[in-house]
This record gives sequence, C-alpha cells and structure tokens, in this order.
Amino acid sequence: MPEVMNMAEETKKLLYVMTNGPENPDKTYAPIYTAALSAAMEIDTSMYFLMHAAELLRKGAAEKVALKKGGSLKQFIDMALENGVKFYVCEESLRDLCNIEPDDVIEGVKVVGTSTLADLALDADSVVSF
Amino acid sequence: MAILNGCEIPDDLYYYLEGSQMTWIRLEGENATLGLTDPAQTRAGRILHVRIKAVGTTRERGKPLATIESGKWAGPVHFPMGGTVMKANEQLEIRPVLINDDPYGEGWIAQIKITDQSELSGLLRGEQAQAKFNEIIARDNVKCIRCQK
Repeated sequence: MPEVMNMAEETKKLLYVMTNGPENPDKTYAPIYTAALSAAMEIDTSMYFLMHAAELLRKGAAEKVALKKGGSLKQFIDMALENGVKFYVCEESLRDLCNIEPDDVIEGVKVVGTSTLADLALDADSVVSF
Repeated sequence: MAILNGCEIPDDLYYYLEGSQMTWIRLEGENATLGLTDPAQTRAGRILHVRIKAVGTTRERGKPLATIESGKWAGPVHFPMGGTVMKANEQLEIRPVLINDDPYGEGWIAQIKITDQSELSGLLRGEQAQAKFNEIIARDNVKCIRCQK
C-alpha cells in the first residue's frame, strides 16, 4: 500500500519556529516546505518567524532568496500560505533587528509580540525549531 | 484528446480546477477514479511521495484524499465530492513517478464511491474544461513534458 494516512480525525497542531534568514538561504527552504506539507496533511500548522527570519517576510525579499534547486523562496512561501499555514512574525525582531515596519510585511502574515510565541508553543502538540 | 501547450487533456473526463487543484475524475457508475492532470504533474515536477487516505475512509466534499510531495510542490489532492475510498493505487508507493509518466492511466490515485452524484455539477468537462486549462496554462506558463522512465 502507499503510505496510508490513518490518523485519528482529531486535528493536531504543529508549530515551526524559524530563525534562519536570507543570510543562510540553504536553511530557509526546508522549514517552509515542511510546514506546507504539514498543512496539506490537515495538521493545524503555524510558523513563527523571529530574529533574522523576519527579513524573509519583507515585501520583495523572498524573491531574492535564490535556491540551489532553482527558483526562489517566494514560491514556497506562497505554497505554504495557500495550503493554510498560519504565518506569525515577531514584531521586535522585525523592527529592532531587521529595521522593517509592519506595513512592509507581505500579505497573510500576522505581526505579533514575542509573548505570542509562548502561547503558540503551549497550544501546539509539537514544536519544531529551525 | 486536446493538446494544450503539450499538455494532454482527455475529452472523456471531468475536471476539478479550483485554486491549486487540477485533478481529473473518471466516472464509472456510482464510483469515481481520481488523479492528477497533465498540467498538475508538470507543475509539481517529479513526484517523490504519495500518501493516500486509508481504504474505507469517508470524507466530506472538498476534503483531501491524498498528499503529494515532489520537492518542488507539497500539497493536498482534493476530491470535490463526498465519498469513501474504495481502493488506493498501491503501485504509487514503489513508483510515485507513475503520476508523471502516465497521469491518466497507471498514475491514478484512488477509487472512490461517491456519496452524492448531484455534486458533479461543480466539475468541468469538454470545452469548458479546455477554456479553464488554457487560462491556467497561460497564467502559470505551464509546458507539459514527461519525465524520463
């Protein structure tokens, strides 16, 4: 048989914590791809971007992150959002570390405080950190 | 069979073309076979893994029956009607690339017993389907090719 999905119908929650930014493009793709896949598997999936990862969510930034496999990170962010991944970005990282105003963040991302990370982590069934 | 920018679009199938979904459905009485279309397999690239809901699973309209991974694309495969999985394509565990090589034949994904045939009204076929495919192919710049066997 193909890998058969036989999970209980109860929806599980996964939180991915993302800290890698455009300074390390090889580490940006897999977390977002994995989150997109989790959402496709009907897992309630959230991603929390902090530190330099916040830079990836600046308008026009993901297009400039070239991937070794070809293309840019933009298509994977779009895919994750389309699959239903909830994107959160740390406002402190955004403003103080990356010098980005909330208005410069792409659509579909919630700008939240650091305390939201604690809420999301406690609410999730598992937390995966990159 | 229509050929649109290299993509094969058989005339005898129904198509579900909403959002990221580009699936085909072949009706056989109250049962249906579900698969990815030629433009969908092209857009996804070489398929690496397929997960299909267990036989006997009943899903509501629009819920995913499978998940596809290609490295380039990761997403759900929705069945646009309510139904119960009667059979999953076991060959896809060994050779998921069958979806790329033969999307309308050996690359079928699942056979489903349809709960409500009236839901067929939301599907496209014939000229309506071709018009929608033309729109998608132009928008996403899709040119269909077959992976090497």
